Amino acid sequence: MSAPVSPIREPLIEGGKTYHQITEDICAPTERVPSMAWIIAFMVAVACLTLYIFCVGWTIWVGIGSWDLNRTIGWGWDITNFVWWVGIGHAGTLISAILLLFRQRWRTGVNRAAEAMTIFAVMCAGQFPLIHMGRLWLGFFIFPYPNTRGPLWVNFNSPLLWDVFAISTYFTVSLLFWYTGLVPDLATVRDRATGLRRKIYNYFSFGWTGSAKHWQRWESLSLVLAGLSTPLVLSVHTIVSFDFATSVIPGWHTTIFPPYFVAGAIFSGFAMVQTLMVITRKVHGLQEYVTLQHIESMNKVILLTGTIVGVAYLTELFIAWYSGYVYEQFAFANRVLGPYWWSYVGMMTCNVLSPQLFWFKKMRRSLFWTFVMSIFVNIGMWFERFVIIATTLARDYLPSSWSYYTPTWVEIGLFVGTLGLFFTLFLIFARVAPVVAIAEIKSILKVAGDQYIGPNAKHHHHEQETTTKSTDTHH
Amino acid sequence: MKDQNKAVWIGVEHLQNDPAFQQVSNSEFVELPLIEQLSEESALSTESSRRDFLKYLGFGIGAATIAASCEIPVKKAIPYVVKPDTIVPGIATYYASSFVQGGDYCAVLVKTREGRPIKIEGNSLSKVTMGGTSARAQASVLSLYDTSRLDGPYLVKEGKLDRPRNKREAGPSWEQIDKEISGKLKPDANIRILANTILSPTTKKAIADFTTKFPNTKVVMYDPVSSSAILEANQACFAQAVIPGYHFDRARVIVSFDADFLGTWISPIEFAAQYVQGRRIPDILKADISRHIQVESHMSLTGSNADNRILVKPSEQGAAIVALYNEIAAASNAARVTGPQLDAKKTTKIKEVAKELLAAGGSSLVVSGSNNQGEQILINAINNLLGNYGNTITFNDASLQRQGMDRDVRTLVREMNAGSVNALFVMDGANPAYDLPDAEQFKNGLAKVGLKVSFAGVANETALLCDYVTPTHHYLESWSDAEAKRGHYSLIQPTIAPLFAALGRPGTRQAEESLLRWAAAETLDLTAEQPYLEFLKNNWKDTISRQQSSFVMFEAFWDSALHDGVFAAPQIDIQVAFSGDVAAAAAKVRKPAATELEIAFFETVNMGAGQYAANPWLQEMPDPVTRCVWGNYLAVPVKWDGNNDFTSLNNLNGNEIYSEADKAEVTVDGKKELCTVIRQFGQMEGSVSLAVGYGRRATGEMGRALGNKVGVNVYPWLSVDADGNTQYYATSVSVSNAVDKDKEFACVQYHHTMGVTARGDNGELVKDDATGKPLNVDEKAIMSLGSGFQGGLTNRSIIYQGNVKTLEGLVEHIKEKREEAAHLNEQTLYPFEEYKKEFYEQGHWWAMHIDLNACTGCGACQVACTAENNVPVVGKREVHRHHEMPWIRIDRYFYGDYENPNVVYQPMMCQHCDNAPCENVCPVAATNHSSEGLNQMTYNRCIGTRYCANNCPYKVRRFNWLDYTTADLFGINENYVNGEDLPFAADNLMRMVLNPDVTVRSRGVIEKCSFCVQRIQEGKLTAKREGRKLVDGDVKSACQTACPTGAIVFGDRNNKESMVSKRIENPLNYLVLEEVNTQSSVFYAARVNNRNEALDA
Repeated sequence: MSAPVSPIREPLIEGGKTYHQITEDICAPTERVPSMAWIIAFMVAVACLTLYIFCVGWTIWVGIGSWDLNRTIGWGWDITNFVWWVGIGHAGTLISAILLLFRQRWRTGVNRAAEAMTIFAVMCAGQFPLIHMGRLWLGFFIFPYPNTRGPLWVNFNSPLLWDVFAISTYFTVSLLFWYTGLVPDLATVRDRATGLRRKIYNYFSFGWTGSAKHWQRWESLSLVLAGLSTPLVLSVHTIVSFDFATSVIPGWHTTIFPPYFVAGAIFSGFAMVQTLMVITRKVHGLQEYVTLQHIESMNKVILLTGTIVGVAYLTELFIAWYSGYVYEQFAFANRVLGPYWWSYVGMMTCNVLSPQLFWFKKMRRSLFWTFVMSIFVNIGMWFERFVIIATTLARDYLPSSWSYYTPTWVEIGLFVGTLGLFFTLFLIFARVAPVVAIAEIKSILKVAGDQYIGPNAKHHHHEQETTTKSTDTHH
Repeated sequence: MKDQNKAVWIGVEHLQNDPAFQQVSNSEFVELPLIEQLSEESALSTESSRRDFLKYLGFGIGAATIAASCEIPVKKAIPYVVKPDTIVPGIATYYASSFVQGGDYCAVLVKTREGRPIKIEGNSLSKVTMGGTSARAQASVLSLYDTSRLDGPYLVKEGKLDRPRNKREAGPSWEQIDKEISGKLKPDANIRILANTILSPTTKKAIADFTTKFPNTKVVMYDPVSSSAILEANQACFAQAVIPGYHFDRARVIVSFDADFLGTWISPIEFAAQYVQGRRIPDILKADISRHIQVESHMSLTGSNADNRILVKPSEQGAAIVALYNEIAAASNAARVTGPQLDAKKTTKIKEVAKELLAAGGSSLVVSGSNNQGEQILINAINNLLGNYGNTITFNDASLQRQGMDRDVRTLVREMNAGSVNALFVMDGANPAYDLPDAEQFKNGLAKVGLKVSFAGVANETALLCDYVTPTHHYLESWSDAEAKRGHYSLIQPTIAPLFAALGRPGTRQAEESLLRWAAAETLDLTAEQPYLEFLKNNWKDTISRQQSSFVMFEAFWDSALHDGVFAAPQIDIQVAFSGDVAAAAAKVRKPAATELEIAFFETVNMGAGQYAANPWLQEMPDPVTRCVWGNYLAVPVKWDGNNDFTSLNNLNGNEIYSEADKAEVTVDGKKELCTVIRQFGQMEGSVSLAVGYGRRATGEMGRALGNKVGVNVYPWLSVDADGNTQYYATSVSVSNAVDKDKEFACVQYHHTMGVTARGDNGELVKDDATGKPLNVDEKAIMSLGSGFQGGLTNRSIIYQGNVKTLEGLVEHIKEKREEAAHLNEQTLYPFEEYKKEFYEQGHWWAMHIDLNACTGCGACQVACTAENNVPVVGKREVHRHHEMPWIRIDRYFYGDYENPNVVYQPMMCQHCDNAPCENVCPVAATNHSSEGLNQMTYNRCIGTRYCANNCPYKVRRFNWLDYTTADLFGINENYVNGEDLPFAADNLMRMVLNPDVTVRSRGVIEKCSFCVQRIQEGKLTAKREGRKLVDGDVKSACQTACPTGAIVFGDRNNKESMVSKRIENPLNYLVLEEVNTQSSVFYAARVNNRNEALDA
């Protein structure tokens, strides 16, 4: 690859890596005995997962009455968590598909982990539409399967049904995309492994040999899947937003929801990627692959999308006032001033005010602040969904039915439990698969490695390129 | 060669038995493997091959799987061997009867299915209740199936039933108990029969027969919520110790001093129907409705319906009555009296009231709920001066619904304590150990009575202090009669065989029969199959049938009366002349107390005096005013602090919206109780109120006592005045600050107001600085962060209300709003007009009309719906969590002056929208629309996403959060209601009340009002079978039939002759939230009041 390289761009791979060194660095975590930190983290995650399983069992056994939802507020933490997790998933797809289209090379450092996050997040998200059903055991009714019940079919008018298709498509495509990317890297791990591990990795790498034909097919498949994922980035959360936007409830029934939800999803997704990568790069010693530049780029995305959602919030308020529609006006007055004012304040502070910190370069490049902010944004986005769902339902048209809602231990357990599910899966992933896409990052070494463009890069690229290549063969 | 003898042979080869032929003929048919196999020696071997093993394994697993998965509880349906000709499976049979509980009366039709009474309907032949019902009457069918009912007579030892340790064993037999009791009754014994009001003439006859054997017998009647002062006053004024017949329909001005005549006072079903007649607006051009002024301190159901309320403290009632009397007397040249004085402000108001009354003359009515003799005499005097006797008050149809004399029960308690009573019989319903103000003295005296027998059907506080409980039948198992008003007779007939006797237990026995048996009365024919039926018939033959001339033969009269359930004897005109001593009366009235705080005790619509405590349908019916369930709540006044907040007495209950309530210590005369507090609009400043009838300690014994420990017992706080009459207020009361929190505050509606205004210190309306209009306190109060009390609600198209004087403005306003909605709704994706043409206008198009002006909020419809549609009971904790299930609720909104507001009650059920928001969001199409405009729910298909409930603008969909009905897949996660042994819904006896036409919903599904689709279906089928068109009135919803005032009308709007079509023409009509374009099918007619502004300031 000989794309023009600007010397003012910061290198995306630091430490003067060679191809072999990259392999070594990235495969190493899968080959070591896990660190104590990993073991402790894993135990905590599994403990939470156990809690999750218990709470799901409890919910199914006792009924949705084990939650504190009521006649007025039919959805609370359940759907809040669902939307939150789906939103988190978006960053992975955005990084792998949209940034690919925009030729953002820095994506290669984080796309693997982000895609894994997407899959795990969608898995967590998918739990909630299932367990929030009153009769989970009849959940198969939502699939349009041939049946003997005469003309009885699913209701294609229902946004919940659209959700079923949107989420399942999204999950399938993301999973395929992620796994396709993993295949050559699993083969790399296999080539370095012996014994049983070798057999296992061999199985999972589908007998990858690295032949030119394999690479060619792999490239084609990746392209096709990238093409499929691209519209999904926009469609999934758009459809999730339809759950609300197509209703008649003031505060839900707004046309701004699709772009607002998508921006929010990317916002929260990037925040979650930041949370994960700040830790992973430290634990796995990947600072040279996931550099401060990566962090900064993602912080810029967070600043942009955070500001977009901020504008959306203000637009909603303005439109509510401007519409002259009493119900809409009340719904928003109630959001800001009503009994759930604290969640609105939480949302505004975390999502709109706090990302403004990232106007300062120093902040964007500070690991500490990045981590803190990523947590803030995650909290803020959770509040946003809570505000939209619970606050809106709590006080709608008929004052006689107004209510208030606080979760029970079961609902909190389910939320904490999905965090357990998520981190269990992520920790396993970080142990068994390369968390940075080896093949992909190698492809940008020569255009973004610091030995080529960084401050230490020698002049006369072409000469240097050949010499480096030759030294590489000696290793 | 044997075969040669064969008669039939096929060819020569056969005849010759040729071996070749035999070979062929044997192989002609397929070999018979079984025989062959059996004939082989190896077949008998028990060794099996691996192949066999797999076969058996496969079969075994298959069979086991099938067997295991098919294991369902075996439920036996036993067909009739000889089918009774009155029972057709699947077809309901109706019997006329009467609901009687103490003085509560309602003529009813009992709907039975396969021999089980399952629903109470009003009997429209009755001239008293006119086909209306009350919540209490509607709920009475559930008490038939109360597991805590006694299954036979028991001895009581040390406050407990002496039951066999093994609960499956029967208790003592009737013979044994009869012998013991008869043995203890000496002919000269001083016997007292203690009862609440006895409406039955035949019961009185039975007691008379008993008395001939035991001449020292006396009947003591008392009512826990007593009207004995009225009886005494009428005795004093007219020599008639009865409650006269009131005619609210004839009154143009109604003034009520604390009489809750629409909710609980004497005959609320009758009064509500009369009252609403004078309040309807059939023609807006000639709108002329009566004016109703209520003088009270707490917000009663009647007060909430009033046009004006004048707030006086309980102790000031006497002064207010004296003031009114003097005003009327001054205008009528009658003698004025001297009595306690009201303050100037209230006096001005009373003057205005007098003006109104005098203007209306003989078409006015003044009533009082007071139990003070002097006050009642003055009320009589006022009515007399106004000329109301003979017009709005008559004696020829005097009410017998309250006959209790408080002073009699006081005498009894004294006698008992003196040891001069030998035997006491307590009739069913009476529970003096609980509901007397001097219950402690009663209990002390009871210990000195030689023989104490209770007839209670369900063990109660008094029964557990007696020696014997000899339970009487439930009224649905009884033969009896009632005379609710003079000449208005009705019959009670059994609709099911007495339950427990049929199960091999000793069973229950009619109390009257027990008395007659113990007296060995000859008038009871013990050889008859049903002795008491014969006794009843004989009594009717001797007395009541003599009052009629239509039938010559008694049997014909009896059959007719039994069929109709009611019989109205010709009225005898009774003229009365007032002869009361007003000066003496004025000296007796209550004296205003100097204390800062007073407390009023009142009866609630659902709980009565406490007799209904064990009925969970009534416990779970929200109080119409406070909207609270499962308990009595101390109502404290609300005050707007002038800025942006509402405060209340001692700042209690600021956090209602979080389902939290404060508990405060209430001390009355040194007796303390911890009460949950609710802020109540309309509660007078300087006063609080608390309902009687709660805090029962014994509402059953057989493993289910659902009414136990619900709320606070206030009876010990009641006092007795000099005449021996019980007083329902106290002046030395203090309420502490919050001392605790009610963790399960169960209230279904907190947000009260829809546009209230405030007044400054001098009584002037507070104006908004910006607009100069009266300040909307709701909107002002939203500005307090975190509570948002109301806010911006006045413009909502939920409630329309106005004054009758500005009716045209109201009509114009509604018209404007509806046009605006229609304009908004033009922009729609839904081709409603097309559907209308293609579907709705083709066959039936069901609609409902609710006249908010006729709805008094009594709640009968809600209990009727619960009974009709198998709506589950969920218990206090679940209601606290807002998991209540009713399909129809009555929303209550306050408007007007915040201190003294008017109220609108709005029955709210599924609006059956033709553009239903719930339908298009269901992912599995479990809720859908019929071509007749019904929004239908398919429970089997529902997976419980609750999306429909979220998207319902009316919030009428109900979700089965827990296993409320035991219809669940799993068996042991049922919901307990109130500490019962077996979950309420799992109780098979209770389940007999379920309507077989309505599916019992399982956990995890949504349910809601179906417009009683089972009744629609039945009506359509009947019409089809009879080969005719469906006519208006064939189909009536349960709420419609229950309503005592006819506020709810249901029918086919395509039928232009139907009542609903006609009512839909009313210009006061509107659709709730019309601009949301749901195209709902329930029309509401706006609420119109006749408020007199002169009484406001």
